[in-house]
Amino acid sequence: MTPTDLPPAEQTPTEQLVEAVRLADSSQALLLATRELAASGDPGAAQVLVEVLGFNNPGAAVAAVDGLIRLRGAAVEALLRLDAQNYGARAWAVRALAGIGDVRGLELLEEALGSDVAASVRRAAAKGLGSLELHHLSTAEQERILQRCLQALLAARGDGEWVVRYAVAVALETLAERLQSRGHSLQALLDGLDILTQPAEGNPPVVQLRARLAVERIQRP
Amino acid sequence: MAGRSSNPISVPSAAGDDGPQAGASVRAGAPVSAPISEGAPISEAEALARLAQSEDPSQQYYGAWWLGRMRSQHPEAVPLLRSALRQRRARDPGAGVEENAVARNAARALGKLAPLALAAVDDLLEVLEDPDDGLREAAARALGDLRAEAAVQPICRRLASGPQGAGALRPGTPRLMEPCEALLEALGEIGQGAEPVLAVVEPFVHHERPLIRSAAARALLQLSGEQRWGTLLVELLEHPQLQVRRAALMDLGAAGWRPALEPIRRTLAENSLKLMALRGLVERGTGEPAEPLLLACMDELL
Repeated sequence: MTPTDLPPAEQTPTEQLVEAVRLADSSQALLLATRELAASGDPGAAQVLVEVLGFNNPGAAVAAVDGLIRLRGAAVEALLRLDAQNYGARAWAVRALAGIGDVRGLELLEEALGSDVAASVRRAAAKGLGSLELHHLSTAEQERILQRCLQALLAARGDGEWVVRYAVAVALETLAERLQSRGHSLQALLDGLDILTQPAEGNPPVVQLRARLAVERIQRP
Repeated sequence: MAGRSSNPISVPSAAGDDGPQAGASVRAGAPVSAPISEGAPISEAEALARLAQSEDPSQQYYGAWWLGRMRSQHPEAVPLLRSALRQRRARDPGAGVEENAVARNAARALGKLAPLALAAVDDLLEVLEDPDDGLREAAARALGDLRAEAAVQPICRRLASGPQGAGALRPGTPRLMEPCEALLEALGEIGQGAEPVLAVVEPFVHHERPLIRSAAARALLQLSGEQRWGTLLVELLEHPQLQVRRAALMDLGAAGWRPALEPIRRTLAENSLKLMALRGLVERGTGEPAEPLLLACMDELL
């Protein structure tokens, strides 16, 4: 919301909720106010919910992420405008973008999966890259984006944390359905999954099991 | 399960929904470790060299951590860690370094180096009698990780005085007389569930601290498989303190208690920890709910 959008006189219900977030003077008050604002589903809440991501209040940030995901596309611009220096806020933003699945978040998700220091952020980014919404794009554009997602996920199959590799297996399974329905070869994707099914040092049974399940589902006629 | 290592670098996945910067240890009572700069990656040879020198303890500390973290199978690793286990050094409050930091980290690393580290079980048993309770704690965890059956008797001896003795508050500190949590968990990991062992552990399910109750229930569940201990852990998932819910999550995962799936899904805690717990249910548990359901729940939490 830009200042010029503001109505002159009375506050709308959303503005009252925004004000409650801004005036919150304890972490509990912030949490409650954020939850209410998040539940409003009003696009006018996006900017303030994004600000909450930087307040170093995990409970409120979880509520804000939920609210931003509910706003879907209407939250994306505010999320992408976020200050790159505020690492904590950016990590939460990655989760929100992964949950929203908007292609405008592609670059940030790729970057997060490839280089974020927190496994929980890389995990969310991987999942998001498997489920971007593409139906509104041209066929050529869909192709281009699917290939980028595939490359990013394949590159992350060697991630040091099991939970990220687990998320990669899940995302590759989702991606396979979409590639398959467009008549693409799945060889590179299956080769990538195959590595995750191996009982190598540091690759725990749960990841192997999930990757095998993905392979089975993809190959099921 | 590797989820409760006390080394700060090995717990970043615990940050979870608390935000990536919250590298807080899952449990209180975890020793405060020396600050470590991850810096540039080092080689195995470099880690061995850092541990072998004696000029700079912080380099030794890092070298010991590296060897454990990377599961080094180099023939020099265990001998060097065994001699590091003998180092004693007072706490340096200015540098934020814990007492006997190098020895503690050497014990932790040895716990990760089975089977080669089985050669160090006698050294760890000796350390289990050290006056430094932080060092005893690290040794107990390592002995549990190594499934060292020789440790069952000595650990039971240290716990035998029960919640009022071993579990009493050490005057003037927030610590207990013995590192009960680590000792109880080690018994569960080693898995020797003879009657006298169960009799030592059971009184601790009435300890005033919920984290001790959780550790005791975990050990009893691992040793006996009795449902009542799983039920006790599931109740702790509803505890008002996040720290207790986190511990119960880790304990259910360690015991692989599959009936806890739904309560784990519902409890208020970070998804990262729920995922670790569910991994334990998949890998360590049996029976219902079966794997497809467990994996579907994990998929949702990503």
